[in-house]
Amino acid sequence: MRRIKTIKINNEHYQVDMRGWMCPYPKYVVEMLIKKLNNGSQMDMLVDCPSATEDVPKVAKKMGCKVPEINKIRNGEWEIIIQK
Amino acid sequence: MKNGHYVYEKIFNIFYYNLWKKPWPLWIGAIVLSLSNLFMFAYARALGVFPQMSMWGSWFYNLIGLNVDAPFTVYPLTPIYLDMHSMINFGILFGSAIAALFAEEFKLRKDDWQGYLSAVLGGILMGFGTVIMPPCNIGGFYSATMALSFSGPLAAIGLLIGAYIGGLFLKWQAQRAAEEVDFDSAPIGNPAKKSARSNQPYIGVIIVLFFIIIATYYFSIGKPKFTGLLIFGAIFGITFQRSRLCMASAFRDIFISRNGTLMKWILLSIAIGTIGFSILKSQGYNQMHFILPMGFHTILGGFIFGIGMVIAGGCGAGILWRSAEGYIRAWIALFSGALTAGSWVFIYGHHVGEGWLYGKPFSLGHHFGWVWGTILILLFLLCFYILIIYVEAKNEEN
Repeated sequence: MRRIKTIKINNEHYQVDMRGWMCPYPKYVVEMLIKKLNNGSQMDMLVDCPSATEDVPKVAKKMGCKVPEINKIRNGEWEIIIQK
Repeated sequence: MKNGHYVYEKIFNIFYYNLWKKPWPLWIGAIVLSLSNLFMFAYARALGVFPQMSMWGSWFYNLIGLNVDAPFTVYPLTPIYLDMHSMINFGILFGSAIAALFAEEFKLRKDDWQGYLSAVLGGILMGFGTVIMPPCNIGGFYSATMALSFSGPLAAIGLLIGAYIGGLFLKWQAQRAAEEVDFDSAPIGNPAKKSARSNQPYIGVIIVLFFIIIATYYFSIGKPKFTGLLIFGAIFGITFQRSRLCMASAFRDIFISRNGTLMKWILLSIAIGTIGFSILKSQGYNQMHFILPMGFHTILGGFIFGIGMVIAGGCGAGILWRSAEGYIRAWIALFSGALTAGSWVFIYGHHVGEGWLYGKPFSLGHHFGWVWGTILILLFLLCFYILIIYVEAKNEEN
């Protein structure tokens, strides 16, 4: 089965790489990952689907998280910062 | 600071930043789509993309020596570059590529084998759906409803159920992948690096020039309609790409995410178009345009198409404009969809609209008069709107 590449940057900061996953996968996945994330932790989600830059923050905010930044990494790729 | 620099910045913001860097609000996309469809109908024809692609499939079979006729009789076998209707599709590809490049959003987006398999399967389902419904989501629902064809609302029923089934499948895949993620045992790594400036807008300018050359060429050889439809197609492509107006997600999100924002704007878009279409038709203009065969096959075709468009990642227009953004999954869906629909006459033995499967076309305007026909369509749109509000409200209540 296809895996979502996840790395630990430090104990409260993770990066989830969803580049290559078309929409709507990121918005479905983020909902489940936020539930797994500890309070006070940060998850940077990398996406390459333009719609995800709108959908993912909406889901995260609805679940009570903060989305302080959406950064463009390179052509057609973004990093969405989610803080729980 | 009212000097030359300020004026330059203002112009730059309006024509570059707002148009290409910021996503367009959905309502702008919905209105541009509606008016462009209306103007294109007045000019030549309404929007639909899959029948042309079906013809591409049949054309390909003939190219390799297999004699199969094109499934839609109004889209006969023609070399693709000499087919007027295909110009809309080429326009969409150009428009979307130009928009993606100017926005620095183009990327060759690879998937894994499961994604490609979904694309093949989604394409096959869309291919069958388009000939059974007929035609695709845009032609069979969006344009047909505007054109006062009774088949439009029926197609919506099938599409809605199909998109829900397809959405469940995607959600299940997402769930399985998310379950595997374990933050505690994740390997330690470095955050992704950002890269320097992009040269995509410059490539965009080259594509614009290329587009102008092709459009001018068709004009110069005495085919001005080809040029016109290329330009309309490009407007559709730009609008789809910038506003992310995706019909597949509009149908999918209603029951899967219990969110109908996108569909509500599409319904408004159809309402505006319906009034324009019925004004033109009531004056005697092209009255049977997009009045499609109607029967149980409309719902069945919509259902099959609905599943297909969601697992492929876009409806007929969706896979076209996503192809131009670099989605390999969309390229595969496009090929498998075209090849499936292109083989219909071989499988079924008749053309679309002929034989035991299809019902008769039903024009609400002809049966109930243009005013009542329009009112009936607007009532249908209102009922659909109320259904969405109900689903959303139920979700909030829970």
